[in-house]
Amino acid sequence: MAEAVAKAKKQKAPRNLKPESMNKKVKLTAADHVFNICVNIFMILTLIVIFIPLWSTFALSFRSNTYLHSQFRGMFEVWTWVPDAYKALLGNAGFIDAFISSFMILIGGVVCALILTIPMAYVLSVHTLPGRKWINILIMIPYVFNVGMIPAYLLVKGIGLIGHIPAVFLPGAISTYNCIIMKQFFEGIPNDLKESARIDGCNEIQILFKIMLPLSKAIIMTVGLFYAVSFWNDFFHAMLYLSGTPVKIFGWNMIDSNYPLPILLRNILMASGMNEYVEVNAFGNAPVQAIKAASVFMSAIPMIIAYPFIQKYFTKGTLAGAVKG
Amino acid sequence: MKKTSQPVVTTTKSGLAVSQEAAAVYKARNKAKLGAEIKRHAGVYLLAIIPVAYYIVFKYVPIWNAQIAFKDFMARQGVLGSAWVGLANFKEFFNSFYFWSLIRNTVMYSVGKLLLSLPLSIILAIAIYECTRPILRKIVQTLAYLPHFLSWVIMYGILLALLAPGDGVVNDVIKAIRGTNVGFDFLTSTKAFPWVVLFSDAWKEMGWSAIIFIAALMGIDGSLFEAAMVEGANSWQRVWYITLPAIRPVIVTVLILKLGTILDAGFNQIFMLYSAPVYSVADIIDTWVYRSGLLEFKFGLATAVGLFKGVFGMLLVFLSNFISKKVSETGIF
Repeated sequence: MAEAVAKAKKQKAPRNLKPESMNKKVKLTAADHVFNICVNIFMILTLIVIFIPLWSTFALSFRSNTYLHSQFRGMFEVWTWVPDAYKALLGNAGFIDAFISSFMILIGGVVCALILTIPMAYVLSVHTLPGRKWINILIMIPYVFNVGMIPAYLLVKGIGLIGHIPAVFLPGAISTYNCIIMKQFFEGIPNDLKESARIDGCNEIQILFKIMLPLSKAIIMTVGLFYAVSFWNDFFHAMLYLSGTPVKIFGWNMIDSNYPLPILLRNILMASGMNEYVEVNAFGNAPVQAIKAASVFMSAIPMIIAYPFIQKYFTKGTLAGAVKG
Repeated sequence: MKKTSQPVVTTTKSGLAVSQEAAAVYKARNKAKLGAEIKRHAGVYLLAIIPVAYYIVFKYVPIWNAQIAFKDFMARQGVLGSAWVGLANFKEFFNSFYFWSLIRNTVMYSVGKLLLSLPLSIILAIAIYECTRPILRKIVQTLAYLPHFLSWVIMYGILLALLAPGDGVVNDVIKAIRGTNVGFDFLTSTKAFPWVVLFSDAWKEMGWSAIIFIAALMGIDGSLFEAAMVEGANSWQRVWYITLPAIRPVIVTVLILKLGTILDAGFNQIFMLYSAPVYSVADIIDTWVYRSGLLEFKFGLATAVGLFKGVFGMLLVFLSNFISKKVSETGIF
């Protein structure tokens, strides 16, 4: 796998992804033409299939209260779109609170995760370390043996974290998988660099900060982004451990409810019948479906903004890890 | 260090006293060396303290807590105080009517997802690899990877916009074709629900799972294609006789490693999509553990089921890793 990645890196950008020699002019047979047409049709079909659900949700979020035609027509009649739903959401204190809570989980989570993952990965990458094997076993046992959610719930309950924001990110603050990816990167840094630093009188902690970290910006970004995605998208832990109580700083209510965005989104989406009016109509005069669709897009926006950066890294940084899926 | 001490003992077999003495010397020297090594790495151990403590608290305490699978857990008495009941929780699970339906649903969903998305992602990877229009390729690649980064809550919102019986886009089309006014509720129909699960998963993860195959495709030696072209093979034949055999090891590895996670059928997805009318076809082990444990407070029973899944899953991971190492010389550890 590593060879494949190395080879892929060496290649310049050709017209297609095949090796360059393949792009010489050759006489195409009828079968080749049919093949190329099929490939292009498949690509365009894939494009349509992926695009339509996203577009229909996007169109729905701009539906106005006075639009009476079917949603299918609404996808095309762009001139009837109004941003009422977005105005309603942005003017709603509950929605802003959920955003703040989500960001607190995101920042707390990523900071904790990196503070724990970087030293762990570095420790595991020091091959001369006596007892390294035991540390490796220590992290691999929970990785392959997962006892499920109830014992973890009892632990969080036992520590007294229930109802507090750290309960959402602490149980998942190290992903062993990310740790292994980072360790493999550290192992790839030439040992000579560390040796020469040692000769110059650096201790191990100085080596980590002065040699390893400056050389591993790419992997730290990648792993950090993967953590960020998982904390931003996490609704299960928030549902399990939070109960919508206010977050207070020195007695001052910073936000009225600590429910993050995914929980609020889930409540909005799940609302139906009587509930629909209680939960959703608080958001003003936009249609209920438009509010639902708009809140979907609002929660996806940070992810969509971050996506180009993530894409830049995941294709090179973690290809070897994609096996795990 | 062990390797250097061994030949000494064997070569001085003639004099036992000498060998023992030599061994003792080596042991002492090794000990001194080990001490020096530990001292030299003191900083590394210092770095390890916090993460190791984290692992012990957040990963090992839950394993310790899992003992309540063998207990009649009472919240007031705590994990240690509750009474042992042996295998009663496991027996209750194995003898219950939902046992087989949970196993069936779990395996059905994970195998179904594999059968649907593995061929799709291989075809997508080959199409991306063969596509001669760089702009089309770039757009497809960017769009196809995107859904992997959306959460299942967001996916549920998108599926609602698509499939809602009242005014979802799909139902608009169905109504127009059939000429009726009644929409079809995909998410509460026991017949349609499994397909919604399988296809929404394929939609979300197809591009992401194609990445590994694209990487493998880019490693194929170009001279193979040239030789085939000289021999007069057309594009279809090149795909069938060169491209597919070349990435076969990767396909096999992915397939086997997926086998190891067959009991993980996608908790987040099913939990978001399902509702009481479709529990019979939707419930997988994880969703059942959540409902019976945290909503009905049957902690012991739910932990027993989770533990059963954990042990079985671990065996599957070892098995798949073993097979994978045998077949394609790659494994996860």
